[in-house]
Amino acid sequence: MSDKELTKTRRKGITNDYAIILIFLAIGLLLMLSFMPMLWMFMTSFKNKGEYFTYPPLFIPRSPDFSHFIRGLEIGGLKGIIDSFVVATCSTLVSLAVGSIAAYSLARFKIGGKHLAFWILSIRMMPPIASVLPLFLFYRFLGILDTYGALIITNTIFNIPYTVWMLKGFFEEMPEELDEAALVDGCGRFGAFYRIALPMVAPGLVATALFCFMFSWNEFLFAVILTRARVTPVTVVITGMIGGHEILWAEISAVASMASIPVIALSIFLQRYLVRGLTLGAVKG
Amino acid sequence: MKKMITGNRLIGFNIEKHMPLLFILPCILILLAVSVFPFIYSLLLSFNSWEMGSGLPRRFVAFANYGRLFTDLRFGNSILNMGKVLLFGVSLQFLIGLTLAMLLNRAFRARNLITTLFLLPMMIAPVVVGCNWKMIYNYTYGPLNHILRVLGLGEGVNWLGSMKVAMPAIIISDIWEWTPFMMIVLLAGLQTISVELYEAAKVDGASRWQVFWRITLPILKPIIIIAILIRAMDVFKLFDIVVLLTQGGPAGASETVSYYNYLTGFKYFNMGYAAAIAYFQLIVIIIVANIFLRFLQERKP
Repeated sequence: MSDKELTKTRRKGITNDYAIILIFLAIGLLLMLSFMPMLWMFMTSFKNKGEYFTYPPLFIPRSPDFSHFIRGLEIGGLKGIIDSFVVATCSTLVSLAVGSIAAYSLARFKIGGKHLAFWILSIRMMPPIASVLPLFLFYRFLGILDTYGALIITNTIFNIPYTVWMLKGFFEEMPEELDEAALVDGCGRFGAFYRIALPMVAPGLVATALFCFMFSWNEFLFAVILTRARVTPVTVVITGMIGGHEILWAEISAVASMASIPVIALSIFLQRYLVRGLTLGAVKG
Repeated sequence: MKKMITGNRLIGFNIEKHMPLLFILPCILILLAVSVFPFIYSLLLSFNSWEMGSGLPRRFVAFANYGRLFTDLRFGNSILNMGKVLLFGVSLQFLIGLTLAMLLNRAFRARNLITTLFLLPMMIAPVVVGCNWKMIYNYTYGPLNHILRVLGLGEGVNWLGSMKVAMPAIIISDIWEWTPFMMIVLLAGLQTISVELYEAAKVDGASRWQVFWRITLPILKPIIIIAILIRAMDVFKLFDIVVLLTQGGPAGASETVSYYNYLTGFKYFNMGYAAAIAYFQLIVIIIVANIFLRFLQERKP
């Protein structure tokens, strides 16, 4: 290698070093921007009233006060978290039971061709506000407004198409010979589905279930329209607290932080499936 | 082997043959009952005037509710606001998301962890996002105005209380919330591009810009379109952070279509008109969704 070439590569190495530093600086800066609002809220949950109504604003509380978490739970947070959990869990289980077998049918027997599958998916794309109006009137007629049932049904309507579509993708990736072998071995169609196919897509099943849970947990529009006082999912509780006369920021932040913990844990757990789960399988991460 | 399967099918002819249909029947029945039926009902409703709570009976008004859509300035304003979110929000999400994806598209330690940390804004509940930003935007005690004052950029902005800034404030929160979506989807796309392709381009003497415009973007194109379509459909649903931050105010300056629809139906109890707005939204969504599905179909041979 000639001298000239050597300096060239060396210089290139140096610019590369600078580039790398710049890249990580940029990543760090963006990460901070992305994190700050959440961190601000989390910090606020430890602040006393004087500390969040003060100028200049205080980032780190002087004397961290953990009591807001308890207080937040007492003034509706606990009820909210329980209600959200009940609604999300029930809706997820129903969607999974109904959706998995339907997905299997679509994937294996191509029942209804593409049109049926797309029709099911299109239901998920409905704007929620457009579907909640007739549902509201329907539930009012049945007298089930402000019950778990109403919220579970509504969430399930949106979760079933999601489950069907996601699991259809997972079933299609499974080698067909396997459930054919099961049929040969004398399992019925249901046996082939239940004993062979379902365990095969277990990771996909879990991922789909957790996504459904997360959607229902974060859901707000249905919750605020279909409930009053008896059932109060956590999103409604938080909104209600903000609408009050005196905004108890510390308690609100504490409840909101607690409501975010399960979702954050799930997203770390779901990392591998995030892209697929959030694009309805259109992009496979 | 094939014969044996056919034999098996013949034995259990009756039930087994209809098994696939039986499998999917519960799903179809539930969806028909709880989604299609209400939609037909609300279609009928949209041809009626029904002011729940006013005591007036429902009466048939044919297309009057739909006609009203075209003269209702408030509705027009909400459409305009949605356009702003699409134009400024989604495009900035795309640009920042693409930048981030390109930055993160390299091997380094803790990459997975950092990528996941970036995703959190979109994973937490939109209501919580609203909470976050309500504190950030607070005129007197909020950190954002504090930063502006420290930097000497005036007395601070009345983010949520001024006609001019309320909508941009909502768009900023929306960008914050959804840029991670663009990032993760585009990152997934970037990772499908093989290193050899880049190396081949380098051997041929292509500059970075050329590589970006000639290789990266064309390969990403279908994924970009899918991501933008998904976001476009989401813009129609923009509701939660509007409730938390501005409640459509001041004076309707930050009303989105979903929020206006909500007010019409559940605050003014004008059910017929609300159903008409809902149907308008539905038609637009169906158009966007169809484009989306066509792309999906092309990608899945």
